[in-house]
Amino acid sequence: MYIGTEQLTHTYMPGTPFATKALQDITFSLQQGCFALIIGPSGSGKSTLIQHLNGLLKPTAGRVFFAGQSIGSDKQALLGLRKKIGLVFQMPEEQFFAETVYDEIAFAPRNQGLTENEVEERVNNAFEKTGLQSASLLKRHPFQLSAGQKRLVAIAAVLSLNPEVLILDEPTVALDLDSRDHLFNLLAQLNQEEGLTIIISTHHLDHVAALADTALVLKQGQLMLAGSLDEVFSRRKALYEMGLSLPAVTEIMHSLAERGLPVSTCVYTMQKAKQEILAAKKRG
Amino acid sequence: MARSITMGQYIPGVSIIHQLNPRFKLLTLVLILALLFLLETFGALVVSLGMALALFAMAGVPFKYLLRGLRPVLYISIFALIIYFFFTSGGVVLFRIGFLTVESEGGEQGIFIIARLVVLVLFSLLVTLTTTPLSLTHGMAYFLSPLQRLGLPTEEVAMIMAVALRFIPTLMEESQRLMRAQLARGADFETGSIFKRARNLVPLIVPLFVSAFRRADELAIAMEARGFRIGAKRTRMQDDLITFKDWAALVITLALIVLVLIFNL
Amino acid sequence: MAGQSAAIIESKDAYFSYSGDGEPSPALSGINFSVKRGEYVALIGPNGSGKTTLLKLFNALLIPSNGEVLVKGISTTEEDKLPEVRRSCGMIFQNPDNQLVATTVEEDLAFGLENLALPVSVIRKRVKATAALLGLEMLLKQPPHLLSGGEKQRVAIAGVLAMEPDCILMDEPTAMLDPAGRHSVLNTVHALNRNRGIAVIHVTHFPEEAALAGRVLALNEGRVVADGAAKKVLTDLDLLHKIGLQGTTAGELAALLRLGGCPLPSHILNNRELVDNICTLAQNN
Repeated sequence: MYIGTEQLTHTYMPGTPFATKALQDITFSLQQGCFALIIGPSGSGKSTLIQHLNGLLKPTAGRVFFAGQSIGSDKQALLGLRKKIGLVFQMPEEQFFAETVYDEIAFAPRNQGLTENEVEERVNNAFEKTGLQSASLLKRHPFQLSAGQKRLVAIAAVLSLNPEVLILDEPTVALDLDSRDHLFNLLAQLNQEEGLTIIISTHHLDHVAALADTALVLKQGQLMLAGSLDEVFSRRKALYEMGLSLPAVTEIMHSLAERGLPVSTCVYTMQKAKQEILAAKKRG
Repeated sequence: MARSITMGQYIPGVSIIHQLNPRFKLLTLVLILALLFLLETFGALVVSLGMALALFAMAGVPFKYLLRGLRPVLYISIFALIIYFFFTSGGVVLFRIGFLTVESEGGEQGIFIIARLVVLVLFSLLVTLTTTPLSLTHGMAYFLSPLQRLGLPTEEVAMIMAVALRFIPTLMEESQRLMRAQLARGADFETGSIFKRARNLVPLIVPLFVSAFRRADELAIAMEARGFRIGAKRTRMQDDLITFKDWAALVITLALIVLVLIFNL
Repeated sequence: MAGQSAAIIESKDAYFSYSGDGEPSPALSGINFSVKRGEYVALIGPNGSGKTTLLKLFNALLIPSNGEVLVKGISTTEEDKLPEVRRSCGMIFQNPDNQLVATTVEEDLAFGLENLALPVSVIRKRVKATAALLGLEMLLKQPPHLLSGGEKQRVAIAGVLAMEPDCILMDEPTAMLDPAGRHSVLNTVHALNRNRGIAVIHVTHFPEEAALAGRVLALNEGRVVADGAAKKVLTDLDLLHKIGLQGTTAGELAALLRLGGCPLPSHILNNRELVDNICTLAQNN
């Protein structure tokens, strides 16, 4: 019961002919230190849901809680909350406005009113975590970076809040393979070594599945499935009917199992798949 | 979400009024507006008001949109009424306040002018509520097209308007998203002096402009790829939409205008 | 043009470089290849390898600095034949938001036809027929911003299709879509290719999408490094890895299993082939 919602409902433009129910009666809770996926097709309410988790959107009904307390609308409390829950929007590099990478990352700590010394420490810390090489990058203009570097800097710009929870909306959209792998390594490290709770909304499950332990599935604003990743991913048919597909490796394992090969289907990496298949063959 | 943004004042519908060609709608509107300025009797005005309301009923536009459109007129009306009451002389003296006398002639004139204004606004609303902004733009571009001979790029302006209308909802959505993204980074758009607040908008305005330019660039390439060339001859799909209904509407309007003019005698 | 071969697109030793201010910019050096009527070509390559640039040469959005690009035998430098080049090679872009021009789907489908200055009656007929073909009838009066990503891309495809093209050029059309949207777009394009003989050049960074093409062209640093059947190019994992790409999941897993001592054939490309082969091995054991 660390972070979650209770009967959360959100309606855009309530009371007008344009009213749309984006979320309906969502109840869930996540453990501290977990790595959770919020899965669903476009328009299923993923973005709306995660924006509630740090109070950017207000529930039409129900409540959102964090660390045992309801998230209210008191301004000071919300500012405090947003220091602990970092939210990285989709295509976050589109928010860049500063002259240098340094200033971009410094924006959040400066907004907290820290001294320049403290700000510098935060910036260096966040920048280091991203694993970007060469500190000279900090002096560059953000628009001069490659797509992958931009994405990492955008994440550093939220990590400089020193959050306990890091939420990312579709973090790998429009990234090449190397940048994506780099990003996932960063997230795994933040989760395992720094103990950050990580929540990712995504419809692309191929590589992130190996990192996560928990999954929520949304469709048309409703919570369809929730639980451990293995539980949720075992509901292959239900996921398929919702327009979602399992990671390609997992899909292969399901097909093999259906054909009678004694393999586990809770497989999300190539290495694990290889071990499973070789072992099954020996046993076979 | 972009669903929150209505396209101008347009209320979607399938009535015959919605279906009329925008050029004809604009033309009849101009005729009716001219008529209204010729009117001198209350009788004729009441008949026109009746016409307007009947057309609203035909268009199926909810009554509340009509009232909402008339709201700005209300303030002007009250102001105009006061002026007419106090400063026009003639007729029966109704009452006196100090040196000001209020006489019936002024009241009558005031009410007549306001009633005419209301009818005028109603007819205009009827057009804007039942025609998409894009159709309106094209309709106006048609009537302005003779100006092309004078070197005015009316076609291009119409295209620019159309593209702007297409992107307003997208950019509105984007600015909302950006604002929330910067709020998540601890930005403050609400407190402080005017100067400070203006400076706090930089994290919003810079990315919005960057994105708008990128979109404009991508869109220009996409338009070029689809064969759009500035100054090249093109046709417009909507151009054929003049149907029997349009001519019928025009004839009926003309007949009604004659009818109203008879009441005006 | 009738005398020409069945090639829709021919690139003859085409070069291109961006005149940027000293920044490294993708360039093409000596591209030779041609696309025949009805072919489906996937264009793969790492970021900055010149895929998008090459695509833009085929639609005359860019003109080669050296060499020549012919569309149905017309050189893309022929200014007065530009409308015909753009009509026969329509282009679909990555971002669904930034390529729809009009305020309704119907108007957008008409846009390209209006640019061709076709008679209004023809435009109406084609818009209607295209919408029917792609199942967009219900969306005709909708403004683009209310559509899903997949719907927007299908509208973009319909806008190109209405111009009765010989070839559709697509620049990562599914990169921003969810799996359902991706499926609908891929199904649409493959059906057009199969049933109407429209050639497709499809830039993608998804190996699974490339595997659906008949032919795969790999670019690296502005040069063609492989050109052949999908089965051949996408199973050459050494080459793909060398230029920073990956094979399909099934292909990569098959390679791993081979390293682990599993005698799997080297041409495995998709899940079904992999599963079939593994099961055959298991039965033989």
